[in-house]
Amino acid sequence: MNASIAPVVPPRIERPLERLAEVLVDYSTRVRRDDVVVLAAPSLAGPLVREVYEAILRAGAHPLPRLGLDGLGEALLGRGSEEQLAWVNPVRKWELERADVYMSILADWNTKSLSAIEPERQAIVARAQDELRARFLERAAAGEVRWVLTAFPTHAAAQDAEMSLEEYGDFVYRAALLDHERPADRWRELGERLKRVADFLSARKELRIVADGTDLRLRTEGRTWVPSDGHENFPDGEVFTGPIETSLEGTIAFTYPAVFQRREVEDVRLRFEGGEVVEASARRGQDFLEEMIGMDDGARRAGEFAFGLNEGISIFTRNTLFDEKIGGTAHLALGQSYPETGGKNRSALHWDMICDLRAGSEVYADGELVYRDGSFLESALG
Amino acid sequence: MAELVVGYSLELGEGEILRIDGSDTAAPLVVAVHDAALAAGAHVYTNVSLEGLAELLVRRGSEEQLTYVSPMQWEEIELIDAMVTIWSEINTRSFSLADPGRHGRYIAARRGLSNRFWDRIGAGEARWCGTLYPTHGHAQDAEMSLADYEDFVYAACHVRHGEDPVAHWRGVSAELGARAEALADVSELRIVGPDTDLVLGVAGRTWIAADGKINLPDGEVFTSPIEEATAGDIRFTFPAIFNGHEVEDVRLRFEGGRVVAAEASRGGDYLRALLELDDEASLLGEVAFGLNYEIDRFTRNILFDEKIGGTIHVALGAGFPEAGGKNRSGLHWDLICDLRSDGEVYADGELIWRAGKFLAPVEPVAGAAGVRG
Repeated sequence: MNASIAPVVPPRIERPLERLAEVLVDYSTRVRRDDVVVLAAPSLAGPLVREVYEAILRAGAHPLPRLGLDGLGEALLGRGSEEQLAWVNPVRKWELERADVYMSILADWNTKSLSAIEPERQAIVARAQDELRARFLERAAAGEVRWVLTAFPTHAAAQDAEMSLEEYGDFVYRAALLDHERPADRWRELGERLKRVADFLSARKELRIVADGTDLRLRTEGRTWVPSDGHENFPDGEVFTGPIETSLEGTIAFTYPAVFQRREVEDVRLRFEGGEVVEASARRGQDFLEEMIGMDDGARRAGEFAFGLNEGISIFTRNTLFDEKIGGTAHLALGQSYPETGGKNRSALHWDMICDLRAGSEVYADGELVYRDGSFLESALG
Repeated sequence: MAELVVGYSLELGEGEILRIDGSDTAAPLVVAVHDAALAAGAHVYTNVSLEGLAELLVRRGSEEQLTYVSPMQWEEIELIDAMVTIWSEINTRSFSLADPGRHGRYIAARRGLSNRFWDRIGAGEARWCGTLYPTHGHAQDAEMSLADYEDFVYAACHVRHGEDPVAHWRGVSAELGARAEALADVSELRIVGPDTDLVLGVAGRTWIAADGKINLPDGEVFTSPIEEATAGDIRFTFPAIFNGHEVEDVRLRFEGGRVVAAEASRGGDYLRALLELDDEASLLGEVAFGLNYEIDRFTRNILFDEKIGGTIHVALGAGFPEAGGKNRSGLHWDLICDLRSDGEVYADGELIWRAGKFLAPVEPVAGAAGVRG
């Protein structure tokens, strides 16, 4: 036995930001010559922005960086007048209307910097921006704009994930499958698997989800299940649909804290009748929960139901982009649905809430057991 | 500083749209101006660049990418009521090795946008203010520590602790306005100093007070001289800087308004190349008195250098239409002459300025400020 003690660390991922930039530009958004590419990011994501900017140039397209700075958002939300909060900048409107590609990079200095903002002030902004967002999703569904949302690892996100920055970086890059020579090929493989699940579910009419505190029925007949394989979110790995708006019946208990606009609501339980939330409780953050689901009519209905299928993400890190893809989870979003699923719900809200199904769960499709303890049954998928 | 920009320089009103241009390096000032604009009831947004991206584009972009201006940028120029530009370079020489042709085309492609905005400013439809956030790069050019440079910048802007910057700049505005009025009747200026004896015609031209509206810091009165009247010699004691190139100890001889001899101890070739840029690059577009006495040294940044109290500067190339200037050129190159220790200026034969100061005081007049183009 050797006397020296070697630390146990996973091997380093080579050139992660360069690889990430390449996948985002070449695979996720397929940037082409002469495309106008809006690149929205906080300045904190500078190292990734530079790599992406260069990759966009290599593709022959026109990058338009839109950089945020620490404190600007809090200032508006905290001190803006009602007119200022509700102002829609025409420049942002033009960007959303004309961009061929829209890339957003998340990177927080502090994920809790909006904690003191009154929820109704956030709701004013959300309502004012709603028309823009709806129009953008319409363009995306029509194939007029390709978009992607990704994350740059920061100390704040690492802190939420309860890790060091280096460990968190590894987590992000592995979730993005960057620990492979050709990440885009791995995403195509994962896409095949997701498509198989999506095709299977699209042929079913009704789902019943049973887990601790959860027994929920929903209908998806005529709706499309979409395999989400790294084109709009990155990393990715889920299949999602927009359930029939009036069909949800029963209760669902979300095992993970529900995070929206960087606020956490713990232990959310919802009871649906005729598709509407008729009871909503939380152990912490009840006021915020009620404020958000009271935002508009559509906020009480589900706009999305999905299964997380990225086996590279196994732990909760308080960041929806990653959490909703944890392999072995399901999530439901209150509010706005994605038009490409056939979902018709309209709302300024889109709040993903996640349920861990790995420790004891069953999902039935048209009465047949198809999923147990976090995995689809191979026998059911056929 | 932010309150001075928003409240005094731009006089931003409720519901007006302000765009803040700056880089991530200037984040503290960008955020402060954003705050002040919110407090003023304006709709404010930022146009933040990331250090290094422009260099990347100039170095690696294709010709189309280099010269691409989005139609959205044109619409944006029509939309905004006010713009503030915050300069804050991390490295003031990051384009030194860039291909001059590519860099030139990058700049030229975007010049139309700023020209259009200047037209709107001229028509009274929009306002602009340019200022600076201190960085190591600028401090290094000034041969100072960052802490010393910050003191220098904030003193020049009169925003140090305990000062009332708005009251100060209102006072400057009144005084410079009076100075501009006093110069209005002058037909001929003669500048005399070491190796310098230059005559300029200014009859019928308008002197304009630069009083902190368009630049912060500010502090000069300027006009565009009669193009063909300049005659004699001038020697510029400070290095003359253009696009990051330094030319040292420039000496020019004028005849009939035009440079007929040009020499420099360093950078002479660059000097002569600029003079030949176009037909009117060898005529003067500006003559001005620097009157900000908090700025007492050369720092290789024209925002400050041209306002050094006790200096005179002339610019080769484009003149200011609002001053009556007729010179059109792609060049506008300010060259600064230190007259603080040994200089005299005569107005129609009368000595009006000696050793860096006007001899006769003026009675300040309120609201006499002009516009700087």
